[in-house]
Amino acid sequence: MMQERQDTMNAIQTNQLTRSFGDLKAVDRLTLEIPRGTVFGFLGPNGSGKTTTIRLLLGLLDAEEGTAQVLGFDTRKQADEVRVRCGALLEYHGLYERLSAADNLDYYGQIWHMSKADREKRIRELLEPLDLFKRRDEPIGRWSRGMKQKLAVARTLMHCPELVFLDEPTAGLDPVASAALRDDLASLVAQEGVTIFLTTHNLAEAEKLCTQVGVINHGQLLAVGSPADLRARTSAPRLYIAGRGFTSQIVEGLRGNALIARVQQHKGELIVDLNDLTRSHEIVTQLTGAGVQIDEVRKEKAGLEEVFLRLVDEEKQGEE
Amino acid sequence: MITDIFTVAWKELREMLIFGDPRGRSKFSLLIVIGVFGVFIPLQNGSDWVTSPISIAVWAWMPFIWVSSIVADSFAGERERHTLESLLATRLSDRAILFGKLLAALVYGVVLTWIVLLVSLVTINIGFGGQGLILFPFEVTLGAFVFSILISGLSASIGVLVSLRTASVRQAQQWMSTGMLLLFLPFMLVRYIPQEWLELVDGALANTGPLFIGVGLAVILFVVETILIAIAMRLFQRSKLILD
Repeated sequence: MMQERQDTMNAIQTNQLTRSFGDLKAVDRLTLEIPRGTVFGFLGPNGSGKTTTIRLLLGLLDAEEGTAQVLGFDTRKQADEVRVRCGALLEYHGLYERLSAADNLDYYGQIWHMSKADREKRIRELLEPLDLFKRRDEPIGRWSRGMKQKLAVARTLMHCPELVFLDEPTAGLDPVASAALRDDLASLVAQEGVTIFLTTHNLAEAEKLCTQVGVINHGQLLAVGSPADLRARTSAPRLYIAGRGFTSQIVEGLRGNALIARVQQHKGELIVDLNDLTRSHEIVTQLTGAGVQIDEVRKEKAGLEEVFLRLVDEEKQGEE
Repeated sequence: MITDIFTVAWKELREMLIFGDPRGRSKFSLLIVIGVFGVFIPLQNGSDWVTSPISIAVWAWMPFIWVSSIVADSFAGERERHTLESLLATRLSDRAILFGKLLAALVYGVVLTWIVLLVSLVTINIGFGGQGLILFPFEVTLGAFVFSILISGLSASIGVLVSLRTASVRQAQQWMSTGMLLLFLPFMLVRYIPQEWLELVDGALANTGPLFIGVGLAVILFVVETILIAIAMRLFQRSKLILD
């Protein structure tokens, strides 16, 4: 039966998508638009609804309310069509540990009806850049977690999907293996040119790989945009002031200054979030006038990690 | 869909045959089975083997046990090793996955049975075939052909059904063992049935003839398997399998 496909520029489009487990709203009125060709990072702490969102988008779970379209197909009525065109690396790598690396990829190639010649060519194409081709005939049971994870990424791309879901691809890896996998992912993404939906709570990963990010917590989308947009939208410029003589009276005095959004002390440094970075010299003048000996002043914009923590923090305060 | 069923079944069979069963038992355990039922026991029975009740048990009962030893792994094993969700996220249809798993278990039971019977024939002919070729009688050959398929199918469909609903391979195996005990129960209870009832049944069977009994049993098995597979198809829901 021919399935009707909606003509759309968006790879993913959801509208008020909702799914609960008992009293818990795992995904709560999620509305998203992700254009084709985007590397989208879905950020959120553990249990925030990232994995449930992927399951809903792949049609593995049914939504209670709202709609979702993936590559122009309704995930509820045309889930099979969605899965034909997508690749997914889910919470677990899902590899068959008694089979060799090549057999694992070959099995998935067969599932997608690739010819033997195409499968062989694609296995080489994917494993060579990951430095796994020479070890393709080894059973993967004894491989390191990092190598398995790389292989799982390759398996996800085996059938040249239009859209790839990667659920925390570097979770559980040591920092070296994570960085290596991130590099590999970045080059694969550039090489394959597919749309990627990547969930993570590793913000460095999102900054490195993603052109768009969304922040989710308690199933609700808190913000969406490019990493630069989010930083600009949600974070104030920040001053780091190192020195001596930061008495509580002086800190309180700063809090009364209309230029300042927030002041905190951390390891002998004063961290000042400003409303206007161009007038930072006024803060320095105020401090020296109050008798503070300043050793160093640094101006920085908050990283994605701070943006993320601030959004989550704001949501918490909103609930209270 | 047929291609997909074969893809799933072939991968399952490869894992079973090349690497042994998923609980880590060696692939050589198959050789032991073939050695015991294809060589040792036939040699003990001599040329009577082709009509002996033990040879009938080999094709009418052993497939159930052989299949049950591997089928518990079909879904519970995938769930335990965290490979199920990745498989469910592929383009494979529900039916392709379900029937692929069923086919693999069925083929394993049937092929193992036929290999054992063939090896046993070779053994008997080498050991006792001085006066000509010894073969299974036609009824036995037909019975072996039909019942090895039906009994393997019964075990496969019960096993897949159990495996769909259990969290671990161990739990699935426990349920399978309990099921097997229940199947044995009527034989254990025979001694408590009044003698006159048994004589009535015996008389009825004697009047009916073996062909009719065989066909009747085959029809009953086929119907039971069809019902079990229909239930498994209803229970196979991606969302349930993922959340279980």
